[in-house]
Amino acid sequence: MNKAYGLAFLEGVTKKYGAVLALDRASFEIREGEIFGFIGPNGAGKTTTIKILVGLISDFSGSLSVAGFRMPQERQELFRMIGYMPQDIAFQEWRTVDHALLTFGRLSGLDKGRLSRRIPEVLEQVGLTDSRGRKIIHLSGGMVQRLGIAQALLHQPRLLVLDEPLSGLDPGNRIQVKSLLRELSRAGMTIFFSSHILSDVQDVADRIGILSRGRVLKIGTLDELKSHFSTSDDVELVLSHDEGNWRGAGDLEGIRSVTGAETGRFFLHLEPGADVDSAIHAAVERLLEKGNRIRSIRPVAPSLDEVYLKFVGEGEGR
Amino acid sequence: MSLRIMYLDELKGFYKSRVMAFMWIGLPLLSVLLHFLRPDTKGQMSLALFSTYIVTSVSGTLASIMLVVGIIHEKSKGVYPLFLVRPVKRSSLLLGKFFAVGTCIAAAAVLTIAVGMAVDHFSGSGTSGKMLAEAGQSLLTAFSMMAVSSSAGILIGVLSPSVLVGVILILYGGNQLAALSLLPVFLKLPQPWWFSLAFGAGFAALFLYLAVAAFNKKQF
Repeated sequence: MNKAYGLAFLEGVTKKYGAVLALDRASFEIREGEIFGFIGPNGAGKTTTIKILVGLISDFSGSLSVAGFRMPQERQELFRMIGYMPQDIAFQEWRTVDHALLTFGRLSGLDKGRLSRRIPEVLEQVGLTDSRGRKIIHLSGGMVQRLGIAQALLHQPRLLVLDEPLSGLDPGNRIQVKSLLRELSRAGMTIFFSSHILSDVQDVADRIGILSRGRVLKIGTLDELKSHFSTSDDVELVLSHDEGNWRGAGDLEGIRSVTGAETGRFFLHLEPGADVDSAIHAAVERLLEKGNRIRSIRPVAPSLDEVYLKFVGEGEGR
Repeated sequence: MSLRIMYLDELKGFYKSRVMAFMWIGLPLLSVLLHFLRPDTKGQMSLALFSTYIVTSVSGTLASIMLVVGIIHEKSKGVYPLFLVRPVKRSSLLLGKFFAVGTCIAAAAVLTIAVGMAVDHFSGSGTSGKMLAEAGQSLLTAFSMMAVSSSAGILIGVLSPSVLVGVILILYGGNQLAALSLLPVFLKLPQPWWFSLAFGAGFAALFLYLAVAAFNKKQF
């Protein structure tokens, strides 16, 4: 681990609830300025990790430091640099949006002058400017979620920790929140978020951590995670002139089967462990011999869904 | 600092709540009603003392129920993590509620008794110095009762897993505990209100200490 670029470091962090091991020797870093997406099945330990990271859980073993401050010993200092939105966010419903932000801002140490500037700014960022005077009880679920992000941003934290920030949002709000996360990241904020919506993680995260049964299975960029697959297991071919005889390529050595998607487009499924270059070369020769014209050949890259299923499946012994 | 913020914050929410709306309007009306009903206290107790006890018993019960329900509701909904990830002492969350509720109830009780005395004055019953002194002394006892029931409400709110259990406990336990503040009066100790006040303050401090200790151990 290169601590020069890291903002938060977890080393061997373990948490048990009675006999249940919620987090098992988790070790990873969160780098300054990155968007780190944390994915895993329900009960994998995502929320436990987040609660440890923000100081809500203090009885864990291992070590955790954020910006050089040790958790939980120095958490009072850390609270000033962490913004947090829990998974099931709730406010005291008698408050108005403005009153809630005023209270949380004061508790985070902002004076009235700074708050009078920051509250309109964060409401603008999350698209709640028109709801400033409304009581929280009258807000929709999506608006409460966005208010949750607003309160986390109020004191301009260095590390923004969001537990499932996109769940419960309609497509429009999700696009808006993802765009906000990218904007905050460009401004230098470090963001750590969990989600079970893989496409959202794929859209915004610079690096992705996969967690299963309390263990961090893999961490890396999407490309790094995909590189763990043999990307040449499946090859897509597109023909500009389809003679309809491409199914014959399935008889060749190293090719398990051939499936067609639509006219002029089909997939070669290679045998595991086959000599990829030879198999593709033979298939191309056969197609050309039969009078086909090839427009493109492309190895099929796995989606994050496939990467996730592979790692989580392995982690759970499937 | 965080206690001051939480106190003012809770005060802002509490003084305009529905329960307090009842106390601001209903309790002074109750005081007027008691004046006209003139209950027979058989000389054991002055009317001022009697009405103060009735008023504070009602307001103390309502306040403690409100604290129990509020804390359990906030715990179960997950309101507290947003406070606890800020440089805020956990005790400030509970003490802010206690003092805010105490301030509101004390103000409502003073208003109620003032209305009662005004009714006495304008109906020609007059307001003697003795009555004023009795009302003041009764208020001291009443405040100690409210402090005990409110602090018990906070303790039960922190410990109880459900609203139903919490309300049952505070209705049966909180009021009994609060009534202990009346012991010095019934034992006819000299200047019983000071004993009541000390008694109430001691119990309230104990309950609040236990509530804060339990709250500090809770993980959200």
